[in-house]
Order: sequence, then structure tokens, then C-alpha cells
Amino acid sequence: MNKTVIAIIKILLTIIVSLLVGAIFIVIIHQNPIEAYGALIRGAFEGKLKFGTTLANFTPLLLTSIAFAIAAQAGAFNVGVEGEIFLGGLAAAYIAINWTFLPTPLLYIAAFAGAILVGALWAWIPGVLKAYYNVSEVCTTILMNSVALYITSYMVNGPMSAGVQNPQSENVSIRLKQFMRPSSVNIGIFIAIIVSIGIIWMFYKTPYGFKLRTVGSNSKFSDCMGIDSKKIFIQSMMISGALGGLTGVIEILGVHGYFLDNFATNLGFNGMLAALIVKSNLIACPALAFVLAILRTGALRMQQATGVPKSLVDTVTAIFIIFASMDSLFNFIFKGGKGKNRIGLKPKQQKIEVKEVK
Amino acid sequence: MDFGNFFNASLIYASFRSATPVIYAALCAAITQQADILNIGTEGIMLTGAFAAVAVSYTTGSWVLAIAVAMFAGLLMAGIMAIANIKYGADICAIGVGINMFAIAFTKFLMTSVFGMRGTFSNPKIVAIPRIHIGWIENINFLNQVFNDWALTEWFVIVFIFLMWFVLFKTRWGLHLRAVGKYPLAAQTAGINVISMKYQAILISGLVGGLAGAHLSLGYSKLFTENMTNNRGFMGVAAMFFGNAHPVYTAIGCLVFGFVDSVGARLQSYGVASQLVLMMPYLVTVIVLSFSMVSKYYANKNKNSSLLKVN
Repeated sequence: MNKTVIAIIKILLTIIVSLLVGAIFIVIIHQNPIEAYGALIRGAFEGKLKFGTTLANFTPLLLTSIAFAIAAQAGAFNVGVEGEIFLGGLAAAYIAINWTFLPTPLLYIAAFAGAILVGALWAWIPGVLKAYYNVSEVCTTILMNSVALYITSYMVNGPMSAGVQNPQSENVSIRLKQFMRPSSVNIGIFIAIIVSIGIIWMFYKTPYGFKLRTVGSNSKFSDCMGIDSKKIFIQSMMISGALGGLTGVIEILGVHGYFLDNFATNLGFNGMLAALIVKSNLIACPALAFVLAILRTGALRMQQATGVPKSLVDTVTAIFIIFASMDSLFNFIFKGGKGKNRIGLKPKQQKIEVKEVK
Repeated sequence: MDFGNFFNASLIYASFRSATPVIYAALCAAITQQADILNIGTEGIMLTGAFAAVAVSYTTGSWVLAIAVAMFAGLLMAGIMAIANIKYGADICAIGVGINMFAIAFTKFLMTSVFGMRGTFSNPKIVAIPRIHIGWIENINFLNQVFNDWALTEWFVIVFIFLMWFVLFKTRWGLHLRAVGKYPLAAQTAGINVISMKYQAILISGLVGGLAGAHLSLGYSKLFTENMTNNRGFMGVAAMFFGNAHPVYTAIGCLVFGFVDSVGARLQSYGVASQLVLMMPYLVTVIVLSFSMVSKYYANKNKNSSLLKVN
């Protein structure tokens, strides 16, 4: 069997097993799993509003899953996409509110550029710390998420507050058009799709993409080949951050129209989940992002229609990750699965370690 | 600003008090780090422990049982992580993140569907870990402010730090564990069962993480809220890096964060915005971690270059 088929079967098995575990939980709380999952699917597709909401949820998930995956392909575990969304969104909101002296087309460009730049710079910090000083990027990015959250929260409660009851900024002067009212899906979805295709093309078809892949699979080899692995590593983090910033500006200009406190909570994490399930395969990311968007949208409906709380969906997604991360879990089905050597060091683990040659 | 009111004896206890949950978390991460496993799942293990402790304390009214079950819950979570990582080749970061997500979602799920509560699980029936009141220092103001009415687990953490140090650096088991972390091939050659040692490290860290959670929900506070660990697990991991997985230095790192936390809490009454105050521990953690790693990097560089000169 070829590798792609095995990978797809593994993902499908993972999804089935996770849904079964979810069903067990539903049975435990005395509900009907088939009814609950049915309500979930209906809640994601039935009618213009619900399908539009699914698409609106899909937009940020697509970008954040690609953002996580591209960094992961170069060996960086960027948990910080969420912080980049927050700060990118804040930058975009600031520009769109205060720079109204610019003509409208320029204002759009400025807002997008600002958000992307801020996101990239925010991701540059953990990138440098990891590449040159071996500071765990998982740790720094996740703590910097909290820092970013509180910075934006401070801004919309203080200097940038609109003075209304909710902590939010004033309305922005430019918007991305929403085309499936009353849902909040907007033309940002096309931007997201085009950018994602661009990134995927860049990754597989350009020399730069080759560099990213080489650094990700073997940084020492790439150093010997004349590719500066540290530089590429940092750049991959910055690409990831830029995509995070882009997510932020699309959410602010397209969905909300103002900077809302906590608007991006869990957007970055859910994108990361989508990417983790498919092991950061860029081509598979959009598909999983769509599955997660269905789950997110349907969860609310499921909670309303049946007695199953929507946190069940989060639980099921988390179980996805746990099963999906186990490389060799379903190998007994394929027989040809490679085991590990006797002391439990897997080639993959060795690859991730970036150690100084002493 | 009145500094006498600001830096007084009660600040010492306030710092220690907010540092203890992080110290437990950091020790949980330190054990696996000694075996060269980065325990990203600390946060999730701790959260599960916190929930289990409150749930058991609420239903049975016994804090001893609550701690025991919390530690067992931590053990289970760590067990999933250990099997996934060691047996099925899961990337430790991926499975760690999975465990964290699972813990957040699952505790929320149980809280809403089994206990029928939303957001916060708080009830007078929850029995907290007892606080130790020392009668004879009541009249000595300084000692009274600093040492009186500590929760049992707060006293225990001091014992535990040194216990960990002893086990890791003074026993045969600790030596084996560190050997596995430093150079698994050599350890294997020396006849140490590397896989078994890794399992033991992760499982023990699960017990410690469960205790960390129990302390957070029953010692530090007396309730459970959604995602109540609030990245304390990651602060613990950061402190572990800062202290190079050595229990004593790691704990000192945690005290720095505790100090920042409680200073921040006091600044708030002087009109500093609450968001900035809440941000401080995270910001300081990132900065301290970065500085310690950068200085370690240069120290290593100097050491290496002087070695080269000898050759």
C-alpha cells in the first residue's frame, strides 16, 4: 500500500475511534450519541446562516492551521499563533481607526501590512531565542500568548477604549464585505484560500520551500549544504507569525468591525489542533480545518438541541490529537510498520532535538 | 507610595503562597526533564488533579482522599502520555498539547454534565487542605505574619524540594535516571532498562502533577474554575529550564515568579491597570527564562573555547 493511502486510512481510523470515545461519554451522561452527532451535523449545514457560520469559522482555522504547519515543517513548534492574531488584530484596528487621512485603498494595504508585520515580529522573538540560545519555543510562545492577550486587553480597556460597556475599540473605518448575511462570512475567506494556496505552492514548488523542508528534516545536513538553518528556522516562525497577523486583520475587518476583547480566544489553538492531527501536512490541513469548523459550528446547535454540552466537542478533538500523535498506533493493521530500536529512541525524536555540537 | 506598607512581612508569605503551585508544577516537569523528556503536559496533569481533588473533596468530604485521587488522576494522564510517547512514538510536544487540551475540555465537560455547574465549581461542602495554626508565635508579629496558617501542602513543598534533590542526586535510582537523560545508549550499555526508567519518570511526574493540582484547588484556593491552572504549568516548565531541572534552583526560580505576582497584586491598589498586573508574571517568566538560557549559552561557549585552546 502506498504511503498516502496508509496516512489517510490512519486519519480516518483516528476520527472514528475518537468519535466512538465521544459517544461513550455521551452515553455515560444518559444521552443518545446518534441524536447528538446528528444535531451537530445539522447545526453546521442546515440553512444559509449555519453554513455561512461554518465558513466564517473555517477562515481563521484555515490560516492558523497553515501557520502552525509551516513552522512545524521547519522544526518549530509555534504555539504562539494566538498571540500573533491578537496583536495583528490590534495593529489593524489601530491603523484602520486612526489613519483615516489615507485614501481607502492605501488604508486597506496599511492595515493588512501592519497586522502582518506585527505578527511576524512577535514570532521573531521566540524564533531567535530558540535558534541561537535554545530556549524552548513551546514555553516562550505559550507564555507570550498571555502577554499578548493582556496587552490587547489593556489597550481596549484603556487608551483605545470606545467608552461603551463592553471592552472594545471604536468602529473601524474600513470593512471586508460580508456576502452571506446574516452570517459573518466575508471576502476574507477568499484571501485566506489564496494565501494558503500560495504558501502550499511556495512550500512544495520553490527553492525556498525546499530550504524549509531541508531544515525541518535535518538541520545539520542543511548547514553543511550551505543553508543557514537558524535563519530559515527564524524565518519559518516569522511566516507563521505573519499568517497569524493576517488572521487577526481578517477577523477584525471582516467579522467584528472593531477590536473586541478576547476575540481570538482558541482560534490559534484550534488551528494548531487541525495541523497536529494531520502531522502538519500542508495539503491535508485545509480539509481538517474544515472538519474542525463543522465541529465548532455544530457544537452550539448540539448543545441547544440535546443535553450534550459543547465542551464534549473539545474533548473529542483533544482525543483526536492524542490518537493522531501516536505514530505507530494503528500499525498492527498494516503489518509493515517500523518499530523502534531497543532503547526507545525514535528517529523522529532525535530529529527534533536541536543540540549544539560541542 | 508608602514602602513600609508595600514591602512588609506579609509580602514574604504572599510570594511563597503564589509560588507553591508553580513549584509543584516545576518539580513535576523537572523529574521527566532529568530523563530528557520535556513534560509539556504538566499543565494538563495539574488541571486534572485540581478537578479530581475538588470533585472528591465535594463528594466525600475528605481532603486526604481528595489528594490521593488527584494524584491518581495525574498518574492516569501521565500514563496516557507515557504510553503514547514511548510505545507509540508520539512526538512529546504534540501529545503534551493533546493532554492539555483534553484536560481543559474534559474537566469542563464533567463539571457541566456531572456536577451541573458552569464556570466555577464552588461549594461549602468542599473541604480544603487544613491550615496549620501555630499558637505560640501568634504574639510575635513578624513570625505570625510569615509563618502562621500555612496550608499543609505549603509546608510539605519545602520537604519535597529536598526530598527530590536527595532522590535525584544521592540515590542509585536518581543516578540511573540522570544517566538515561544524559546518554541513553551508555545507560543501556551499563545495564539500565532505559524504557522502564522513562516510564517511571513520567508516571512519578504524573503523581507530582496531581499533587500540584490538588494543592492549587484545595490548598491555594477552595474551588475549581475552568482552566484554573491558567498557564501555571508552563510557568513551572519555564522555571524548570531556569533551574536546569535541579529541584532547589528550580524552586528559587518559582519564588521569583511568586514575588512578581504578589508585588503586582499590591501595585493594583495603587492604580496600575489590572491587565498589566496580570501580565507581569508571564512577561517576567519569559524574560528571566531568556536571560538564563542566553547566559548559559555564553557560559558554555566560553567553556568550549577554553577547552579548544588546551588541545
